[in-house]
Amino acid sequence: MLEVKNLKASIGGKEILTGLNLSVKAGEVHAIMGPNGSGKSTLAQVIAGHADYEVTSGAVEFLGKDLLDLDPEERAREGIFLGFQYPVEIPGVNNAYLLKAAVNAKRKHHGMDEIDAFEFLKLAREKMTMLGMDPVFLNRGVNEGFSGGEKKRNEILQMAMLEPSLAILDETDSGLDIDALKAVANGVNSLRDPERAIVLVTHYQRLLDYIEPDYVHVLSGGQIIRSGDKSLALELEDRGYEWVVEAASA
Amino acid sequence: MSATAINQDMLLAVVEAMPGDKLAEARRAAAFRFAELGFPTVGQEDWKYTNLSVAAELGNEWLDAYVANGGQESDSRTGNLIAAVQNRIDAYWIILRDGFVDSNLPDVDGIRVSRIAEQGHRPLEGADAMSVFNTALLRDGLYVRAEPGAVPDKPIGILIIDNPENAMSQTRVMIDSGENSHLRIVECCLSSEAGRQFTNSIFEADLADGATLDHVRIQNRDEAHVSVNKLSAKLRRDSNFNHNSFDLGGALTRNDVNAEITGEGASVNLNGLYLAAGDQHIDNHTSIVHGVGPSTSEEEYRGILSGRSRCVFNGKVIVSPGADGTDSRQSNHNLLLSDRAEIDTKPELEIYADDVKCAHGATVGQLDETALFYLRTRGLGLDHARRIITRAFAAGTLSTLAVAECHDYLADVLDQRLANLIDAKQ
Repeated sequence: MLEVKNLKASIGGKEILTGLNLSVKAGEVHAIMGPNGSGKSTLAQVIAGHADYEVTSGAVEFLGKDLLDLDPEERAREGIFLGFQYPVEIPGVNNAYLLKAAVNAKRKHHGMDEIDAFEFLKLAREKMTMLGMDPVFLNRGVNEGFSGGEKKRNEILQMAMLEPSLAILDETDSGLDIDALKAVANGVNSLRDPERAIVLVTHYQRLLDYIEPDYVHVLSGGQIIRSGDKSLALELEDRGYEWVVEAASA
Repeated sequence: MSATAINQDMLLAVVEAMPGDKLAEARRAAAFRFAELGFPTVGQEDWKYTNLSVAAELGNEWLDAYVANGGQESDSRTGNLIAAVQNRIDAYWIILRDGFVDSNLPDVDGIRVSRIAEQGHRPLEGADAMSVFNTALLRDGLYVRAEPGAVPDKPIGILIIDNPENAMSQTRVMIDSGENSHLRIVECCLSSEAGRQFTNSIFEADLADGATLDHVRIQNRDEAHVSVNKLSAKLRRDSNFNHNSFDLGGALTRNDVNAEITGEGASVNLNGLYLAAGDQHIDNHTSIVHGVGPSTSEEEYRGILSGRSRCVFNGKVIVSPGADGTDSRQSNHNLLLSDRAEIDTKPELEIYADDVKCAHGATVGQLDETALFYLRTRGLGLDHARRIITRAFAAGTLSTLAVAECHDYLADVLDQRLANLIDAKQ
């Protein structure tokens, strides 16, 4: 589904990704871990299409298409979803409006009619119940005055409504208490599907107790330096990142 | 005589030729007074950003035409224009056309509406040049009195339609809000056709003890229109004045809003939104005088500027000696959609009392790139994302709308106007 080949990307002239390779197939859940500043968030932003990052070489293919050629909104409509580490507050833009506009943008792109208003509300309420969100959040401004946990739940709500083919969740577990973490994990797990891939970007093993990955990668210095199964995450939790970094540079 | 000045001889000749109605005497006195004043010039601090030479030019054109045709005004074709507003806003409507009252006056319980040229009037206030000029050439105007305790079920709507074929018009609306009355007024200012015209308007309100006056002005005139608008409100004990202005059209618009608190417990709310594109110029000068305390004032003006537009916000708050317990908040926020647009924003606080709370703040910024990216990652196109963030900024001013009946109409005209602004942002 997603093929990242020898990807190099920089911001403000500083190279952050230095030749990254990653292959994600439909139905898989990947976890990308790594120390601070290793390039995890950069990878997520580059795949979503943030204009501040310049791709200097390499290729990113998504479902056979050259992703780097597409605008962020085209990537989203093709089926990529980025769950933000810091979801953006947009005062005055109604949450329900955004959800509906997002769903319809994707439907239109795929030649479908706009979603029926009743159908939309029913679906949104269902997903909110699953995430333990009060329906009043539909009528609030996007993330306006939301707590950290509410913002992350709202990201997962958007993901659940958009049903992306590839979801990249950037530090979705940061700032969550245990109840919110479970609710978010529950939402993510409900979307596990043979047709869908999920990439979790995270610092901590804790999230992986609730969302079990098929593959775990260690990102350091802008490259993936080690890949394994979920046992790698446990080993990282025990021993830290240093030994992997040392082993890779040896 | 320079091009920026009104031809004084012509002015006096026209005033002599105007009808001998109940305004005649006031007109004559004002004409002589105006001869000493003349239009404000950019040399005056309060007018340094706003040049009235076009207004003077149009004024002279109108004076010439008056002498030539004896004051016959061209009829304007306004059928659809009137229906488009009246079908959307449920109100008791009155039409003012080029300074004449051009409709039946509504019959509302507890409200008296009259034409000032016919029924007489209280003294015409305003010693500033533009007010004096208005008085000198005033042909008619509206007087609205709310009897004590009157609370009409619907707002009074005043549809002000000016026709560019008549180069200039003077408009005056006088309000007397009786004790504990609650009057709501919507003013819609429109042009009947495209073209240059100058409107000089005055809206003056006197609020008795405990009275509330809600006032919304929607200005959506032709892009060549020039207007100078003065609004003044005098507040007695426990009275409330709530004002929203929406400036969407016009080539040059200057608003002076002056609220004077003369009684304890009174409150003033001023909210403004200005949307400027192309070469539009919109200048808001507000002044709130806290003559006594405790009293409160809240003021928020927002602007969205594109093209080479130029806007001015000058917010003066004066807390008089002894006006303890004054609580005043003021803010002015601006969104610049183009590098060539310019806003000059200036709070002016003069505080002569000790126990007061006064806060003010101004911001000028562009669309938030992070928010744009966020919306795009949700599949919204760049233009769509820009539009909804811009709209959200503007819609903030609808949350304080003093007359709910005009909400839907306003939301629609705002949307249309914003779409133009975003499409033509450079």
